[in-house]
Amino acid sequence: MSSTSTSRPVRFETWRLAALYIIAALAFTGLLFRLVTLQVVEGAAWTVRAVDNYTNEVSMPAPRGIIYDRNGYILARNLASYNIVITPANLPDDESDIQRIYRELSALIDVPVGGPVTDESLAQAKLFAACVPGPAIGQLVALQDTLAPYSPVKIKCNVTEDVARMAEENAVDWPGVTVEIEPIRDYPTGSLTSSLIGFLGPIPAALEEELRVQGFIPNRDKIGYSGVESSMQDLLAGRNGLRVVQIDVAGQELRNLEPPIPTLPGNNVYLTIDTRLQAVAEASLIQEMNFWNTYFGTIRISSGVVIAMNPKTGEILAMVSYPSYENNRFARIIPAYYYEQLSQDPRHPLLNNAISAEFPPGSVFKLSTATGAFNEGIADLNTIVDAPGQLELCEKFNPNDVCTELNTRPFVDHIYEKKPEGFGPISFQQCIAYSSNVCFYKLGGGYLDQIKQGGLGIERLREYARALGYDQESGIQLLGEATGLIPSPQWKRINTGENWSTGDTYIASVGQGYVLATPLQILMSGATVANNGKLMQPTVIRNITDGDGNPVEAWFNPQDFTVTTFQTEGAYQISPFTPNTKWDVTTTPIIKGYSCDGGYCSLNENDLKVITPEAIQAVRGGTRMAVTDPAFGTLYDVFNQFPIAVAGKTGTAEYCDDVARAANQCDFGKWPTHSWTLSYAPYEDPEIIVVAFAYHGGEGASVAAPIVERVIKAYFELKAIDIAQENPALGQ
Amino acid sequence: MIRGLSWRNFDFILLGAVILASSFGAAMIRSAVAGNEVLLPLVTRQIFFALLGVTVIFVVASIDYRYWLALYRPIYIAIMVLLVTLTGFGQTAFGAQRWFTVGILSLQPTEFAKIVAIIVLARYFDASQYRPRDLRWALGSILWASGIILMILLQPNLSNVLVLMVIMAVMLWVNGVQVKHVLITAAVGVVVVVALIVVSVIGIRVPFLQQYQQERIVNFVVPDPNDTYGNRYNVQQALIAIGAGGIFGEGYGYGSQTQLRFLKVRHTDFIFAASSEEFGAIGGGLIILTIAVIVWRCIRAAQKSRDIAGSMIGIGVATLIFFQASVNIGMNLNVLPVSGLPLPFISYGGSGLTALMLGIGLVESVAMRHKEMEF
Repeated sequence: MSSTSTSRPVRFETWRLAALYIIAALAFTGLLFRLVTLQVVEGAAWTVRAVDNYTNEVSMPAPRGIIYDRNGYILARNLASYNIVITPANLPDDESDIQRIYRELSALIDVPVGGPVTDESLAQAKLFAACVPGPAIGQLVALQDTLAPYSPVKIKCNVTEDVARMAEENAVDWPGVTVEIEPIRDYPTGSLTSSLIGFLGPIPAALEEELRVQGFIPNRDKIGYSGVESSMQDLLAGRNGLRVVQIDVAGQELRNLEPPIPTLPGNNVYLTIDTRLQAVAEASLIQEMNFWNTYFGTIRISSGVVIAMNPKTGEILAMVSYPSYENNRFARIIPAYYYEQLSQDPRHPLLNNAISAEFPPGSVFKLSTATGAFNEGIADLNTIVDAPGQLELCEKFNPNDVCTELNTRPFVDHIYEKKPEGFGPISFQQCIAYSSNVCFYKLGGGYLDQIKQGGLGIERLREYARALGYDQESGIQLLGEATGLIPSPQWKRINTGENWSTGDTYIASVGQGYVLATPLQILMSGATVANNGKLMQPTVIRNITDGDGNPVEAWFNPQDFTVTTFQTEGAYQISPFTPNTKWDVTTTPIIKGYSCDGGYCSLNENDLKVITPEAIQAVRGGTRMAVTDPAFGTLYDVFNQFPIAVAGKTGTAEYCDDVARAANQCDFGKWPTHSWTLSYAPYEDPEIIVVAFAYHGGEGASVAAPIVERVIKAYFELKAIDIAQENPALGQ
Repeated sequence: MIRGLSWRNFDFILLGAVILASSFGAAMIRSAVAGNEVLLPLVTRQIFFALLGVTVIFVVASIDYRYWLALYRPIYIAIMVLLVTLTGFGQTAFGAQRWFTVGILSLQPTEFAKIVAIIVLARYFDASQYRPRDLRWALGSILWASGIILMILLQPNLSNVLVLMVIMAVMLWVNGVQVKHVLITAAVGVVVVVALIVVSVIGIRVPFLQQYQQERIVNFVVPDPNDTYGNRYNVQQALIAIGAGGIFGEGYGYGSQTQLRFLKVRHTDFIFAASSEEFGAIGGGLIILTIAVIVWRCIRAAQKSRDIAGSMIGIGVATLIFFQASVNIGMNLNVLPVSGLPLPFISYGGSGLTALMLGIGLVESVAMRHKEMEF
């Protein structure tokens, strides 16, 4: 065969072969160039992506701190909630084994096994969020198998402990099926303390960036939304641990890439609250409300507040805002219907009305007027004020307004209906004890020439009210504090477009009109008087310990609402417990001086004065007389039999808010009234001060005072029990 | 027939390059399937086929290639029977019928069909070497190739259709096809390709093209920047693997993309990416260089061949290796769209490797029987 072939090598046209060589050379050079570009020029960037591919950060959740009351009673804790989960990669290889596991598991947890895995059934299952019942086991596992076979998928959430235990016992027979333990916040005292403790919720989108930097995982970790859970968030949360691991494409963890950062459990917070006293306070409030509502045959009193505090230390022993909400219902998710229902309730159960709601204080505000009048020398212990049943006063918007029939109207005393002639001539302390409106009209706004300096005047009244804690936030460690309002002539001109009138001063002197205060502010005003002029910082935090129980130092900054483990400007120490003095009015000059004549005052620059101890003592005497004076003492009926010396002040505050207006209750001269009572004991050396407030409660002495009486009584009984328990020998 | 045979002309450089490439391939497959128990036997199988292939090279080289050319009719009929049967009984993979399962071995006749096509075309160009280079001459070669092309198109296996068309085109080119015919065909080709791309991007189905093939074209021409885990995933992971390799690579068995299985089909289609990750630019460059040497030696054998048939075998095998390698590496480097063409000698595949070794054997046969100025 070969013999017939040509003997010379084949010669093709050279340029055609050359073209082939050139094409091949160009192609290979091009590929080489591209290879070098990728590996040498862009190498670093691609390496980052390769590292990114196999690097996975696993955040290990830190257990949230526990909240206790002052006696170590648990108010908030973490409970284990059990989820049945399946890790697809750990299921057996044999399909019939898998089906057997599904069938047995299905019988235990009542989730369907599911038919054949079809595209349609998977598309259906994809529509369900985790934990929502609906998809079958087969579909859930098939979905997870395509996404992340080494991560568990939740088959059923929140199963009972029994079911969880049975699933655990079957672990050997059910490879791939495990029980996942998820911490759930639990509040044993529920609605009793919810306005104080608050609740947890998911990390909102606005904070996501900031919290992610701190190691939080959105959609998993929760943060405090209100109450102590919110204000102590930074200390309660702890710090999540972090493991940087290498994973393969299926998500299986292979090894730690960096030394793991261990989790730091959250700190435990001890509150100043005594849960027993809190329960008494709430029960007393509800009992009194039910009594009056039954008496009137209608729901008249619908909400109320009770606060108990140690005036010497500022520790809040009980803080009830009724109605509140069941914070355990927010444990897993915040149910929309329940939240909606709460937020639309006109009684604002989601708010802590003890600090967030502003009400007219009524007669309890007379403590400010009395303190001011005494300190400014308008009245002394020997001053006798004539208090007829009603007073004809003329409303002057300008000093030169002439009093005529048109601008003169009667200002009545609360005793007017029972005793039209009024209290008659009474002393300064009787004015307080009897809560005589006429007396305080005169002391506050002057009357003819009967009152020195023409009365205290609104400017000076404002100074004294502020010194007792009104018109500003208290700085307590709770979110959403309202400031209240003590009006000034300037405020009125800005907000109503009218001049300040003499009538405004009269009604402000008795805590009506534009004056608004939170229940906590009223408690603070009473505490200042009770504690001889020393206003303590109200606090709900008693102590903070770390996960091992060692005390932690902590400071709270009320200006920017932060809690830190180091001292910052404007912050006060909250742990270990230190009583913080806000100010002592008898030593700290905070009262701006005014020169007043005929009811018109001008500010003296750089003239700051203190309140004399005598003034405080005179007002204290008045509050004691309210209990001891059998004639007209407002608290005589409630406290005269009380074994311990109690002193206090009642208040019946007229109001006309949206609710009252809607119910057509705002008839002129007969407005509905809130009921207030403020009492402290023992009188000589007070250790408990209680304020009670009943919305639309009516007379302070008959509605709020019995509540206060029960709380003070319970306080001393509990104290006796505690002493007996600490010293058993004394009980025998 | 062994008589007068001079092993002195046996191209040891070509053989060396082929053995280097297949050994490297087997080693890379071992690294790529490490940890996957199902795929682990592939390493032994590839080594077996490589050894078989080297034997085939020597056996085929020792036989004069003209015997094969003389037997072109039975060979052509045999491969056509195989291809027709395949369309009926073959295993379907990704919508295309491509292999027979015989015991544990799966046979891909397509790989052998390409060699057969080279033999048949070589015979045609040898027989028609004195005819004028008119359209009839060109159409004759197309006619011979069209039988095989049609069967492969019916599988459907577009990539290999393209391979065969390129081989035919190069042979026509070398044999002196008129430039005006080339230009007309090129113009038509460009129009068809552009039309295909436009139609695919718009989303109209084209007959003979599978949906996934059209999607691949679309994904290459207009990649969806948000589509990280969809169709572009494999190519993206290949780019990451190559880029992360750097100059010296991450080391054999230490490529994170390969070992942690982020890189898919890493023992076949994306073995170049796996190699470039573990051996870096040095390794990737050496693969390109080795392929280039093989291609060069094949063309060199064609140039020295004593007859047109031998030249065509050399050119055909060179084109086959060059085109498959460029398309595969181009796909790995994301300069060409995704196709199922393996990297010659390196990718896993018994039939492919054996068929290629057969081709190299033919080239060696040509090289050994060339007539140089030696008397």
